[in-house]
Amino acid sequence: MAELWSAISAALPVTEAEFPLDFSEKVEPSVVDVLKRCREQLYTRSGRWRQNAQIILDFSWEKLNTGTWRDVDKEWRCLYSYGCLFKVAALCRDDASPATVQEAIRTCDMGLLMGAAIMDNILQTFVRILQNEIGKRHSNEEDPGEGVSAKKMKVDCVSVPVVKQDRAVPRIHCPSLESFKKDYLDPQKPVILEGIIDHWPAFKNHPWSIEYLQTVAGCRTVPVEVGSRYTDEEWSQTLLTVNEFIDRYIVVKGASSLGYLAQHQLFDQVPELKDDIRIPDYCCLGEGDEDDITINAWFGPGGTVSPLHQDPQQNFLAQVVGRKYIRLYSPEDTEKLYPHQLQLLHNTSQVEVESPDVVRFPAFVKAPYLECVLQPGEVLFIPVKHWHYVRSLELSFSVSFWWS
Amino acid sequence: MNWFGFGFNGFGQIRANEKLADGESALDANVTYPISIDIVCRNLEEEPVQICQHNSSVDTQIRTSWSRRAALHSNSDGRLCLAGFGVGTPSQRGCGGCVEESRGCQDAHISEGYLALSFTDRVECWNSERNEKKPGWSMAIPDNNGPSLAFPLVPGGYIASKPPFYHPLSPQLLAVSLALGTEHAVLLTASGDIYTWGSGSHGQLGHGDLNPQEEPRAMEALMGMPMSTVAAGGWHSVCTSAGGDLYVWGWNESGQVGLPSRALRGEQQKSQGTGGASTCKDQESSDDVFISIQAFPALVDVTQSCEVSKISCGSRHTAAVTSTGDLYTWGWGEYGQLGQGTVNSSDEPRRVEFFKDQGLRVVDVVCGPWNTFVSAIKEDPSLHPDTNILYPL
Repeated sequence: MAELWSAISAALPVTEAEFPLDFSEKVEPSVVDVLKRCREQLYTRSGRWRQNAQIILDFSWEKLNTGTWRDVDKEWRCLYSYGCLFKVAALCRDDASPATVQEAIRTCDMGLLMGAAIMDNILQTFVRILQNEIGKRHSNEEDPGEGVSAKKMKVDCVSVPVVKQDRAVPRIHCPSLESFKKDYLDPQKPVILEGIIDHWPAFKNHPWSIEYLQTVAGCRTVPVEVGSRYTDEEWSQTLLTVNEFIDRYIVVKGASSLGYLAQHQLFDQVPELKDDIRIPDYCCLGEGDEDDITINAWFGPGGTVSPLHQDPQQNFLAQVVGRKYIRLYSPEDTEKLYPHQLQLLHNTSQVEVESPDVVRFPAFVKAPYLECVLQPGEVLFIPVKHWHYVRSLELSFSVSFWWS
Repeated sequence: MNWFGFGFNGFGQIRANEKLADGESALDANVTYPISIDIVCRNLEEEPVQICQHNSSVDTQIRTSWSRRAALHSNSDGRLCLAGFGVGTPSQRGCGGCVEESRGCQDAHISEGYLALSFTDRVECWNSERNEKKPGWSMAIPDNNGPSLAFPLVPGGYIASKPPFYHPLSPQLLAVSLALGTEHAVLLTASGDIYTWGSGSHGQLGHGDLNPQEEPRAMEALMGMPMSTVAAGGWHSVCTSAGGDLYVWGWNESGQVGLPSRALRGEQQKSQGTGGASTCKDQESSDDVFISIQAFPALVDVTQSCEVSKISCGSRHTAAVTSTGDLYTWGWGEYGQLGQGTVNSSDEPRRVEFFKDQGLRVVDVVCGPWNTFVSAIKEDPSLHPDTNILYPL
């Protein structure tokens, strides 16, 4: 048990004097006072530092919920990360029970999700130490009787849509950069690129599976969307560990609700998964550099739906596990797609693509489209602002690359 | 009157820093039951130490910020006494800091950064550090021939908690009372109508949507029903009608609106050890209706028979005083600010039994962001109504 604490404290600055607490004047002196209390209590090991860490977390949480997320000052996100740091240190100092270690990992994840990197991304370092602790415990224990692979997935009777020949998204195998640019990027035409991700470790070295994800990220906390689609009233977001998400929404599919780990930068949070993928070479045809590319994970059971919408960047949608039905509409036909009037949803169509209300949206059926069933190993190029509708046909894991 | 406080005490705003029985500092503990706060103050700058003692004829008001509490003594020598962060040496007496600059002030507002003092002829805003000789900002107030305005209202507008301080308001509004939340404002007019403006992201403006409003917009849902008081918290708003009904709207993440909160029930289930994916799911019946954002005012039944006379909001909690002298609290309770002796939150109004148990009649309530201050008088009719009695901790 002392090993956990010594590993954690080894990751921290040796002395209190070397522990940086520099903030702009935006952060009030009273708050800095509490931070200094936390720091002092961390190094003198006295006082109720768990409580003081909580004060920092609660104060910064309120700041993070003030105004729009985009406009939240980075100082408050840093402050939140400091709160997580002190809380994790307090947890690990007290004991190293499985429940405590899990709570500490969750705290690190909250800091990674909502905070900003501090002290050389120390929260990521803490996660590694904590996952190690879990790993040590498992190697000492016998394998639990009900093995992970024993969990049977509910098998869906999947109705795979038949793609009409004249509507099919064109396919090309390993095009050169020049031909991709000339034939698809410049004219902004969708295309499925085959054979360009076969080399991914996600296919070769550690094929992605439920078991693999549980091993690599099972205890990590991630945001999950609950509800059939984000335009629904019942739709909400919650935070679950990957294990909980798999247990609740993948293995035993909920009768009433779908869960979707959607649009989440999982690969920043779990570096091991980032090593399993590669940024497509074709992204170099864009203007930004690699740091400007947003990589999102999309992991969920069959039946998840992303309503017809458009994004402000080019997109490579790489399919790793399972199949997805995708339909694409050109931005030229936007009026036939009846976008929502609300500012918040103006990039989303009001129409339910696979069962459109022809009375309310008569022009929709006249809009031309392309469609496909995207298979594992294939990458769909979705040009910027191209409307797209996605429905998973079975357990699915996709990786999207947003680039400009 | 006596003032009591409970909730966040991280800077000694309620109970001064002292060593508790278990060796911990009082600043590390949250105050979960109401305790009497000592507002006898001591002027630290003068020798010998002077004690300005309030007597029964002096009303004391409380003003709060996150890290401080101010007692506003309203006699002719109206003066403000501070407790909390950066205030003198914490002493056994609790209150350490008379604010000299406040002599003669009528009202005040404190925020983390500033101390705003309202005098009959001017408003001054001082930097919280108060190491300067004069206020960072001040404004003369013209003779006000109209009705007396409650601070932060001033003739022609209002004073915000940070620069730019002065904001004009249309005279046609006939504003009489203004509550400033973290990012929004709730205004009461002479005719009993309510106007709101600011951020609407959590439904705190009560117009049925999440849109911000730059200018005061009338709350149509309450039109025609004269309202008498308004209060605003971090992301929620409260008002009472002339008849004593209570309306609440805004964010209900911690139950502060007084409607069933999913987030609250989820947390309670987790802490009771019923967590675990499948169990949680089973317990959620399809009939449960949870509200996370209440974008229109909702009538909240605080108690069946009584009228609500005073209200106040903290960051994420709400307090109400009934005409019969009871105090009800609900919302976020993690720092003991609900006064129920626990650190639990509640999405239902609950009476704070302490006052009833002590035979006290609650007269007023003022919420800080994470704590609550209550003034109460002894209910015993045989005692002179003005008798001032301090209750032991």
